[in-house]
Amino acid sequence: MVAYVLRRLLISIGVFFVATFMMYLLVANAGDPLEDLYGITDPGDRAARIASRTEIMQLNTPVVERYFDWLGGLLSFLWGQGTLGVNRTGQAIEPLLGLALGSTLRLVVLATVLAIVTGVAVGIVSALRQYTSFDYTITFFSFVFFSLPIFWAAVLLKQFGAIAFNDWLGDPVVPLPVMVVLAVLGGLLAVSLVGGRTWARRGASFAGGAVVVLGVLLVLSQTDFLARPTLGPAGVSVLGLAAAVGITALVSGLANRRVLIASLAGAVVGIIVYVSTVGVLGDPTWPFLIGLFVLTLVLAGGVGFGVGGIDRGRAARAAVLSAAVVAALSFVDWLMFAWPAYVSSSLGRPIATIGSNTPNFTGTLWETTLDSLTHLVLPSVTLVLISFAQYTRYTRSSMLETMNQDYVRTARSKGLTERTVIMRHAFRNALIPVTTLVALDFAAIVGGAVITERIFGWRGMGSLFIEGIYTVDPPPVMAFFVVAAAAVLLLNIVADLVYAYLDPRIRLS
Amino acid sequence: MITSRRTTAALAFLAGGALVLSGCSADRGGEGGTGASSSAGTTSATITAAHEQEFNSYNNNTADQNAVQNVVVLNNVLGGFWDFGPDGGVLDESEFGTVEKTSDDPLTIRYTFADDAVWSDGEPIDCDDFMLTWAANSGKFTSTETDAEGNPLSGFSSAGTTGYEDMNAPQCAAGDKEVELSYATPFADWAGMFGAGSILPAHKVAQGAGVEDLIGALTSNNSEQVNQLAQFYNTGFIGTPGTVDTDNWLSSGPYKIDSWQAGQSITLVANDQYWGTPAKASSIVIRFIDATAQAQALANGEIQVARPQPAQDILSQLQAIGDSVKIDQGDEYTFEHLDFNFEGAFADADLRRAFALCVPRQQIVDNLIKPVNADATVLNSRYKLSFQEGYDQVVGASYQGQYDQPDIAAAKQILDSKGAAGTPVRIGYQSPNQRRTDATALIKASCDQAGFDVQDAGQQDFFGGGLANGNFDVALFAWSGSPLVSGQASTYVTGGGNNNGKYSNPQVDELTTQLLAQTDVAAQDTTIGQIESVLWSDLATIPLFTFPGLQANSTNVTGPSFQPAQSQQTWNDDTWTVAQQ
Repeated sequence: MVAYVLRRLLISIGVFFVATFMMYLLVANAGDPLEDLYGITDPGDRAARIASRTEIMQLNTPVVERYFDWLGGLLSFLWGQGTLGVNRTGQAIEPLLGLALGSTLRLVVLATVLAIVTGVAVGIVSALRQYTSFDYTITFFSFVFFSLPIFWAAVLLKQFGAIAFNDWLGDPVVPLPVMVVLAVLGGLLAVSLVGGRTWARRGASFAGGAVVVLGVLLVLSQTDFLARPTLGPAGVSVLGLAAAVGITALVSGLANRRVLIASLAGAVVGIIVYVSTVGVLGDPTWPFLIGLFVLTLVLAGGVGFGVGGIDRGRAARAAVLSAAVVAALSFVDWLMFAWPAYVSSSLGRPIATIGSNTPNFTGTLWETTLDSLTHLVLPSVTLVLISFAQYTRYTRSSMLETMNQDYVRTARSKGLTERTVIMRHAFRNALIPVTTLVALDFAAIVGGAVITERIFGWRGMGSLFIEGIYTVDPPPVMAFFVVAAAAVLLLNIVADLVYAYLDPRIRLS
Repeated sequence: MITSRRTTAALAFLAGGALVLSGCSADRGGEGGTGASSSAGTTSATITAAHEQEFNSYNNNTADQNAVQNVVVLNNVLGGFWDFGPDGGVLDESEFGTVEKTSDDPLTIRYTFADDAVWSDGEPIDCDDFMLTWAANSGKFTSTETDAEGNPLSGFSSAGTTGYEDMNAPQCAAGDKEVELSYATPFADWAGMFGAGSILPAHKVAQGAGVEDLIGALTSNNSEQVNQLAQFYNTGFIGTPGTVDTDNWLSSGPYKIDSWQAGQSITLVANDQYWGTPAKASSIVIRFIDATAQAQALANGEIQVARPQPAQDILSQLQAIGDSVKIDQGDEYTFEHLDFNFEGAFADADLRRAFALCVPRQQIVDNLIKPVNADATVLNSRYKLSFQEGYDQVVGASYQGQYDQPDIAAAKQILDSKGAAGTPVRIGYQSPNQRRTDATALIKASCDQAGFDVQDAGQQDFFGGGLANGNFDVALFAWSGSPLVSGQASTYVTGGGNNNGKYSNPQVDELTTQLLAQTDVAAQDTTIGQIESVLWSDLATIPLFTFPGLQANSTNVTGPSFQPAQSQQTWNDDTWTVAQQ
């Protein structure tokens, strides 16, 4: 394996040199770096400005020589003296690159994780309900999202998701026609998900879905839930216990009482922690919150292990998962509690269209978190829409392929429950090809989301790249390129290694 | 059975316990600590403006840092003896100090700093600051380094030495509030020197350079110390995104730089040491936002003042917001023009006249400019732009409206009588540039009827190659204007640095020399009128239009208004106020 990695790295280095050389030449020839200076009316001033920029950008040096200067600076990082050069105003690139990378990661990591989770989940369900109306609907929408021009989608999202939504928040009443349409859609979704062989059953599914949607909308519309949202201890407890039951159903099936008890006990541990810390979490610090979270999980795991009997491992896992869900619910509850204050501090317009945060915003941890989230929501939705399609399609086909394998038929014919067949035998194996996609996607996010960043006012890797191109300034573009290229090369190798580890049939040679 | 019953009991206990526990809800801690009231208070006194580029240097006077994104921030942070007024003209800043011409021969000006003028660290603004501005822009202080030919390089980097290079060393001693300044040669734009942003805290430069006596080092031209001063002046004020150099970035205006979040925004707060009329809003935030995102940010209340690059779709987005936004359309200090190449076919005055007669100037303005600036007009002067004081006087004295509308028949007649039908006209411009491509197409459609053969000669390196080498018949590009006359002068004189078309007329040369020495600002317009008159009859160039500008602000804020100078929207941010919410 070491030999394999070394060989891949060596090939990569060759590719790297060729690629950077071409990139440098292309950027250096992308236009006239002095263009903005020619319009200066005073000839003396113009000459001074041109001379100064020529000196900074080394424009009198042949471009190939400039490339090797740059490469020398880059390679010097090997003995700790490297430099990425300066941009055309003489600012050093390294701090700019650091800031850009940080900003991009903040923006894109959440979106990518969300896209993976939702995409994989929907893809699995879509495969299990192959050729149902749900499957067709998902297929339709994932192709629609995939083909959306991102700048257009982003502008529409801002118009409806931020501007119109904020206007609506001023008087949050859902109009009756909208309510009816949404209820019908909810009913149709329920029919396609639950299915049913007879018309009576389908009718029941439809009615159930429609009533649930209608009920939620009525509650939102009639109470001031959106203005003062809350779960409260009761909400956290009920949802947490329900989640514990659901987790048990997935992990072991409800028939396994030991696991069910462990899972519920995990939820109870979470609830106890939530209730007992209500007095001290007004403005916590992140280390404190994380510590509390870990402590809760450890406690829940211990309790689960204790009550788990012969099925200890699974019981502990279910308990930890349940406690984690309760912790997440408590977190949401705290954010909801801080919501009214945040809305009033944003003058009633919480959802933002630009930037990573409100300038100079100060507040409790909950309020600053809300501030980040209200700024993240639209760009994240934009990014999720794009990558959602490939995850669902990829997962769906991978799952379908797995479900048709002989070993799945064998498992079924052994008499295993459908849950065991799907969760243990099919699902895990279906995820193996998806890991490759995840690795490559993570490599791509380091390169930033050029258009999304620009539209939503995040100065990340994308703007480093695009501003460098516009100003015909190679060093920022090359800094971007080096990081993005290195990420792609490395994560490609990682993807291969992970694949080989997960699928023993594959050997690296 | 027993197990099953026990299980059920345990489940019931757990579930019940959880509900009981959750019932005894304790008080939420830190409820009073929420930032609602405090942040709401700050927000209401904060006005947010958008700009496309991120700030990069507190010293905007050096050749490599000079850029609009710094002006946006430094307006009303760094003061000066004058600033651009509402109409883009020179406006004296009497709160900062007074300027008085005491003699015409030699031209001598007395600058007096306000008695209580201090930097935001309490240090008085006086002689040493003045000396530094002069020294840095005079070009007289050379570096110990030399260029490839062995000539010494200029020590201080300066984006513009015009005027400063003609001055004698200012006469003042450390701590003086009054400075006598004389010119070695008369200089028409003396009123445009030592403006806002040009005067930097000299005591900080001295401290940063490790020089005890800045005035002494400059007057004795101590090359080692001058080198250190220049080094710090050139590089010491360059910003690292996210870090405000509170020690050195002092303020001499109503606002001071308070904080900077890299890639996002920079925040100004009222300068408590400012001696003049204080800023009205306690804080101004400048967010770095792409032009295309500004309209929606304005609609969503995230910014209150926007100045995007004008484009039709951005304008319609702004108009769609409705009554809550005030839109200002105006002209910017840049004008588009056609330059003839006097070393080609257009050396012939008749051909120039024929071409001028067929260029559809009004149509170019109607089709390309009016969509973003409904009030746009054809420009009829090269020295003055239509919003400037004196424009009507200059145009009245020089131009009779003969080229307002194309006269194809007359143009055709000239071409036919000269036997010049089919003369190729290569219109050169820097491409890609959609507006210039469109303008060239309009000219072609009109002038081809008259018998010219207009060719679109847009080149990617037009400025670098085509223009200087005379590789064009007609050049289409823009000059940036200014209220000062000295910048324009070299465009039309024989052998001038901007005279790309090699136009030459001794009468213009003589009048220009006269203008540059004319220290009485009011009399300059008459001379300009005479120059323009010759330029029109010679058809040295054809002015087309001024660039459109676009600004919009939320009606929650009063004060912002469009100004044509390159000071951008924050030029008067010290007078912005928030209306009652």
